[in-house]
Amino acid sequence: MMKENSTAPKNEKKEKVGADGLTKKERRALKVAEKGAPDTPNVKDVKKQPAVQKPSNISDASVSKKERRALKVNQKAPNNISAKPTEVTKEESKEADVNEGKSKALLRAERREIQEKQRLAKLAAKENSLKKDAEPSGDTKNKIKPVSRSPRKYKKELPKESQKKVRLFNHLYCETLNNRGTCIINNVHPTFIALGEQYSSKTIIGSNARCLALLAALKDLIRDFVTPPKQELCRSLESSLNESVKHLQKCRKFAVSMNNAIRHFKVHLTQLNSTDLSDADKKCKLQDVVDVYVSNEIFTAATSISDQVKAKISNNDVIVTYGCSSLIKKILIDSHQDKKFKVVVIEGRGLLEGREMLRQLVNAGIDCSYCLINSATFVMNKANKVLLGAHSLLANGSVMARNGSAQIALIAHSHNKPVLVCCETYKFCERVQVDSIVYNELGDPNKILNIDTAEEESPLRSVSSKTPPESVNLMYDVTPPDFVTAVVTELGFLPCTSVPVVLRIKPVKE
Amino acid sequence: MDEAEIRATFSKIIKTEDVSPGIAAIKTLMQMVKVSDVTTLQELRKTMTIATDYMRDMDYPAASISSSSELLLRFISLASLDGVAFSECKRIMIDRGQMFLKKLLDGRGKIAKSASKFILDGSRILTHSRSRGVLYALKEAMGQDKKFEVFVTHSAPDNSGELMKKELDKAGIPSTLILDSAIGYIMETIDFVMVGAEGVAESGGIVNKIGTFTIAMCAKEMKKPFYVMAESFKFSRLFPLGQSDLPLDYKYTSSVRKNMILDKEDPLVDYTPPNYITLLITDIGILTPSGVSDELIKLYI
Repeated sequence: MMKENSTAPKNEKKEKVGADGLTKKERRALKVAEKGAPDTPNVKDVKKQPAVQKPSNISDASVSKKERRALKVNQKAPNNISAKPTEVTKEESKEADVNEGKSKALLRAERREIQEKQRLAKLAAKENSLKKDAEPSGDTKNKIKPVSRSPRKYKKELPKESQKKVRLFNHLYCETLNNRGTCIINNVHPTFIALGEQYSSKTIIGSNARCLALLAALKDLIRDFVTPPKQELCRSLESSLNESVKHLQKCRKFAVSMNNAIRHFKVHLTQLNSTDLSDADKKCKLQDVVDVYVSNEIFTAATSISDQVKAKISNNDVIVTYGCSSLIKKILIDSHQDKKFKVVVIEGRGLLEGREMLRQLVNAGIDCSYCLINSATFVMNKANKVLLGAHSLLANGSVMARNGSAQIALIAHSHNKPVLVCCETYKFCERVQVDSIVYNELGDPNKILNIDTAEEESPLRSVSSKTPPESVNLMYDVTPPDFVTAVVTELGFLPCTSVPVVLRIKPVKE
Repeated sequence: MDEAEIRATFSKIIKTEDVSPGIAAIKTLMQMVKVSDVTTLQELRKTMTIATDYMRDMDYPAASISSSSELLLRFISLASLDGVAFSECKRIMIDRGQMFLKKLLDGRGKIAKSASKFILDGSRILTHSRSRGVLYALKEAMGQDKKFEVFVTHSAPDNSGELMKKELDKAGIPSTLILDSAIGYIMETIDFVMVGAEGVAESGGIVNKIGTFTIAMCAKEMKKPFYVMAESFKFSRLFPLGQSDLPLDYKYTSSVRKNMILDKEDPLVDYTPPNYITLLITDIGILTPSGVSDELIKLYI
């Protein structure tokens, strides 16, 4: 894999020498200077991780800002972004880089130092991982980074097997930064590079959190943007944004919420283009656009949805929910203030987000139970309502949500329990989908082979070295509208089938 | 107008004219707007809401009262009222109100016309309780020289089915009164079910006289079409998740609501979920249940 990919960056390099007018030497020097950068933030990562992993998505975004800033400092925040090539080195591929012989660079001494550091760090990590592996539930999602050395070890063992493609899902595999080794990123604001890293490592997860983080990064981009001479702010900003978006999409496929947010922003960008304001004013306006979008479409919508669902929750209800959704969390915590009810959090394998949900609900003082999706039928008898979050609502009324939601909806439907899907209208999408195969996202297949809570390594892993089992970890599934009683949006309770109407009237409202 | 006056006007309208509580509520509100001496739109809106609450609190079905009042408020305040004197404003609003009322009264004819297409020669129709919409549709079909037979439930507790039977007899439509408990028995012999509605929920389901849900379930099981006749002023932004989720003032009259133990009381209405309904025949067209929400979204957002 490495050999194949090593050619790609080289080609890119050749092109870029001409493009930014730097000599090879200068470029190398720059690169080497930056090479150190990912190392330093890593150290910071470890320190900051507990904070970054903070449950509420809002804080997710805000803390990650700090992190981004740290990165930026290390990368000597450029005056003009476009002039500077930046290199992202994935943690996993660090060692590979060294082997690849990039050390031909000029500042050898400096490189050696870095290598030494890495070696030491790795040694420490191995010791760590040995200890941590012995612990039963050592690495919850919360602690991914502090314990991150152990999953990394897995990844190194299994790179080829994990690349094995399952034929039915061939179209879903795409070249991501994760499996491509190193590459050169040009014209991308450092905030977006950091963000991409957080997306691909699933540090920032959940439709809302990802969108909030994206919009925060977008604001940074607007703030730092310097219009190239003899160019128009809006046009050049748009092209710069496009570059950044392209980079982010390489890290992880965009969520519908993010696509919608970017589209909304671009509409305003083109509208602003025709006005004759000064650049500073335009920037100010654009930042306002982002702020208004965040407060209207995300926060106010969530509050409105929360109020509506609260009215439907009665005392002594048993509410079933699946996985972790920031919106459902907000609803339950808000409703808890004046209603007494029980929550059953159902967990699905893969990301094991339910634990995080459970943690926060229990912290809020809600009476909770926790069970795996296998026992959902058993729990459903006692339930009064099922609340589900959504990734997106599709034009045919189907709900795209975290893998497993469709099963919960099906079970609830067969028990005649009302299923409420809570979803802000900014996640509505014109796409039509009847199955979860045509369009989906693939997660890490190793997450299926490994049980990260098990004390011992999964027996599947030892098998996998010779004849690897095919494994697919789909991120989302599609719930047909028949199983959903109502969708709760900021516009009120709606049947699923009203999505096209909302999509039709929404542009008018804007 | 004070509370007593509003109630008196409302019950007078219901008693003297043969209209549904929804229309009566609109007429009462219109009268109130005419005589009221408030000087701002804000106040007018407030007094109208309070008046609606008074009417809901009487011993009439509340479902259509609340939805029609809300629609009226929406309709008359939609006019661009900026920069005109309040007296002028009031005149515009009263005009619009009259227009709204006229539209509603015309609606019934439209429903009857489209519903009569569903009635064929030799049809056997089951209906529940007394509904003006259904009655008009049946009369319309009779006027078209169609031969059909109607089965009417007694419809406990107020036996309003008997009144329906009398009216059908007067119109010369052959009808049979059946027991509420005979719904299952009769279901295999009928062609379709036709009922009215007190209110139409956003889900596309209906709120109607108790027993409607039972009929709908039987009809679904026996695979008979279930048609609902409802004027669009009965559409409300309500989304019941089940029977227990219906507002209390829909289910019980105000005198019953004063009792503490409501569990022991018989509810007046039930909620029929949209998946039991084949079509809703309304003055804005023949809709599938999911179409109701589309119309409501267009109306309110």
